[in-house]
Amino acid sequence: MFFDEALRRLKMLFQGRKFQNDLDEEMQLHLELRQQKHLEAGLSPAAARRAAYRHFGNVASIKETSYKTWGWSWLESFLQDLRYGIRSMFRSPALTLVALLSLALGIGANTAIFSFLDALMLRSLPVNDPAQLVVLGGEEGEAGMTDRYGSTTLYSYPFYRQLQQKNAVFSDVSAILSFSNNVHGTVDGRDEMVQMGVQLVSGSYFPTLGVQPAIGRALTEDDDNSEGDHPVAVISYAWWKRDLAGDPAVLNRKIKLGTTMFNIVGVAPPEFFGTKVGEAPDIWVPMSMMKSVPPGLNGYKDNFYQAMFIMGRLKPGVSLEQATSNVNLLYQQIIRAFPDGNLSPRNTADLSKAHVALKPMATGLSSLRRTFSEPLKILMGVTALVLLIACANIANLLLARSTARARELAVRQALGARRIRIVRQLLTESLLLALVGGLLGVGLAAFADRLLLRMISGGPEMLPLDVSINTRLLLFTFAVTVATAVLFGIVPALRGTRVELTDALKDGRGPSSGTARSPLGKALIVAQVAISLVLMVGAILFVRSLVNLNNVDTGFNREGVLRLQIDSNVTGLKSSDPRMIAMFQEIEQRVSALPGVKAASFASFLFNQGSWNTGIRVAGMNLDQNINIKHNVIGNGYFATMQIPLLAGRTFNTQDTSTSRHVAIISERMAKDLFPPGINPIGHHYYTGFDPIPDTDVEVIGIVKDVKFGSLQEKPQYIDYIPNPHHPWGYGILAVRYEGNFNTVSNAVQQTIHSVDRTLPISRVTTLDEQVSRTLTNQRLVAQLSAFFGVLAVFLSCIGIYGLMSYMVGRRTNEIGIRIAIGATRANVRWLVMREIVLLVAIGVAVGIPITLAGSRAVTNMLFGLRGTDTASLLGSVVALMLVAIMAGYLPARRAAQVDPMVALRYE
Amino acid sequence: MKRDEIPPGTLYLLILKTLSLHEQLHGYEMADSIQQSSDNILQVEEGSLYPALQRMLIKGWVTAEWGVTSGNRRARYYRLSPAGRKQLTVELSQFQRVFGAISRVIQTA
Repeated sequence: MFFDEALRRLKMLFQGRKFQNDLDEEMQLHLELRQQKHLEAGLSPAAARRAAYRHFGNVASIKETSYKTWGWSWLESFLQDLRYGIRSMFRSPALTLVALLSLALGIGANTAIFSFLDALMLRSLPVNDPAQLVVLGGEEGEAGMTDRYGSTTLYSYPFYRQLQQKNAVFSDVSAILSFSNNVHGTVDGRDEMVQMGVQLVSGSYFPTLGVQPAIGRALTEDDDNSEGDHPVAVISYAWWKRDLAGDPAVLNRKIKLGTTMFNIVGVAPPEFFGTKVGEAPDIWVPMSMMKSVPPGLNGYKDNFYQAMFIMGRLKPGVSLEQATSNVNLLYQQIIRAFPDGNLSPRNTADLSKAHVALKPMATGLSSLRRTFSEPLKILMGVTALVLLIACANIANLLLARSTARARELAVRQALGARRIRIVRQLLTESLLLALVGGLLGVGLAAFADRLLLRMISGGPEMLPLDVSINTRLLLFTFAVTVATAVLFGIVPALRGTRVELTDALKDGRGPSSGTARSPLGKALIVAQVAISLVLMVGAILFVRSLVNLNNVDTGFNREGVLRLQIDSNVTGLKSSDPRMIAMFQEIEQRVSALPGVKAASFASFLFNQGSWNTGIRVAGMNLDQNINIKHNVIGNGYFATMQIPLLAGRTFNTQDTSTSRHVAIISERMAKDLFPPGINPIGHHYYTGFDPIPDTDVEVIGIVKDVKFGSLQEKPQYIDYIPNPHHPWGYGILAVRYEGNFNTVSNAVQQTIHSVDRTLPISRVTTLDEQVSRTLTNQRLVAQLSAFFGVLAVFLSCIGIYGLMSYMVGRRTNEIGIRIAIGATRANVRWLVMREIVLLVAIGVAVGIPITLAGSRAVTNMLFGLRGTDTASLLGSVVALMLVAIMAGYLPARRAAQVDPMVALRYE
Repeated sequence: MKRDEIPPGTLYLLILKTLSLHEQLHGYEMADSIQQSSDNILQVEEGSLYPALQRMLIKGWVTAEWGVTSGNRRARYYRLSPAGRKQLTVELSQFQRVFGAISRVIQTA
């Protein structure tokens, strides 16, 4: 019924012309028939006509009423406003251009940043009913492995199994290995190795998520019920398309990982990227095959190999509180009941303290989120402020224009247009401006998104993060656009229509109106200056913070080192195999002998690559058991390669073999803090690990300078170095100190590695410097973008100041003319204008300083090496802002001073 | 001759009723018919038929089609639709209720 009616109305809309003609024709017929009747009744033709019209009523108004009945008149007046708006946009092209540009930048920036916020923090996983999913322990937990008691983020596989059986609150539970393995494997027995991200998941993973495969089947519980005999894999849609060229017979193909052939049993749906935002595995393999996937972790049956995240799907009607108490009860029961548990007083205490928090994981897990949520929020704030400045700017420009249009508006009002009609007209123009700006902004955002993704990725490989323009994003942008239009449009519109008709019609160029309208414009300028100050100080703080970080002494020489990654798993040898140890040594020796290479060494960790840490026991010291020592297994040339100065003792050499006495080199800080005072640590022994197990006894043979290990921000760490033969490590990272051309050396090094073993896959060839600076991605992102937006903000404010001042000078031309005529000097006049600008900027700065201080305190924890309330940054910004603002105001002031009094006065 | 304005709100009723007595009418015929059946007492401001007809078209009470008059002129003819027939009974009963109430008030006075 309602629908039919709407349809009829709509149909009429598209037959507008026919509608009018039909109506005209039938009314014409009516009038003629009536006229004829009167004629027949004996009236004269003229009288008949008059009578017909009298009986009929006002033809024009009846036509209009008929038309309005259909309810489209709003649309028509809107279109009229729109046409008028377009015309007026073209009438002042400079204003339009400035407005559109600042809007495009403002809206584009907001859209781009929001698309990242959306992808990282707001968008739900593309799985069945994501709101019911929870993760044990939340995402504070880093990925990795721990054997610590009381871990509430990482769990062992047997724990997961027990929880799955015993819990009463989840309909499904599944385990995900907290890290994915980068494995080199082959497809279908082909020769070349392909790198693929392999994610181990429990068989319940896909059923828990409710994800249906695009092809074949997903993994099931059956794939995970016994260890080692389920060589099956589900591959990602993207990998299928890319590496298998979308082969429809994909289910017949096999992947070889390590020494095991895996059958591809299914392809995940296109939108499914796993459960970690920003990490998209290529292949999912059941946990039962853990040992077969390089590096061959052995955690399927180990009660304390705690390396999994556990997620559950809440049963309908179960609250988070109920689930939490059930899980915590089971947590204590299960772990204490493990037969091989070591319930020492310390472990029991740690266990008792542990509390498992359940966190909703509708938006997925993400380490990226942890890293980038704060910067993104700050940037969102920054871009919002930039948009505000842009709005203030446009409001100011429109205000100026609406005063210039006062006559036109007054004429329209005098002719009977209602005020609301004109306000609507002006708002339509604003909306038009905003929409075009918004459209440009979306285009800009699409471009900025790619740029941002590159910046966030911090390297050549792009993060698998979907930041394409989507509906939610467009809605956001549309809302922002309309809000800006209202924001910058409403005041000028109301202002412009509140005119004293007679004044305005009298040309309104009198001296009185010159100052009467300014307070609002001035207030906008003050606001712009204040916001600009905030953004500028912010930018300076972030940039200085980045510079400080870049200047941090790493302890090693980050220049001149090539680093690359090999995958030694492909040899199929254990890391303790003498052949493996020999292979690493051979590569080190041959690479070191290359021309241009000064030293080369493998290491288990170079910089910011995780850690292997334990407590230690030092004879004669009562050390806290929570003190963690980071261990780094290295080759003999490591200190030479990294140029870490040896402070005492010796470095490793060829005498340190698998059979020789176990030795270690320790860091300066470790020597100072953890060894008995007054005793030379060299020659001293300690146990690696808190318990005095004889196997772990090592002798200190050297002390080296402290280095940064995990991040540039960290305090000096306790680090010991162990020679590879003593604790064989399945190395991945080779560091090479070189001179000369990077590419030449890089090619030579890679050839040399392949001459030792041609199957070794080599990846991530880059410099150490690059690796170090990549850890500053986050800070660089914030610094660069806030600097960009800071400059943009100041620039926009300058346009605002320039615009307002030009306008005011224009309005005051004859006043200035009079002043000059009665003896004011050019300097007087210049100062007259400049005084105003200086005053405005000063007020803006005064307003801005407390806001800036409050704002920068809020970001203190993102700064390095300086406090939020940094006086130098603040003073610098104030001075810079003053200078730029005065420059922007100088041009109009000079123009004012050049007014020819005769011209100015004659104009009146 | 003195003619009376029609009471407000009854125009739809008059049109619906008039149409219900004929197969189809154009605007002029409708105005004429109303006038005649009221013995020339009811005076419709003839033009006001047209906005009312538009409204009825939207509501789906009447349908319109172009045809040819006896004088061989093109004219838009309106017909009552089933929905319009239903509407007529609604309007009628409403009118009678109101009219009846008004008469009662007047009679008691």
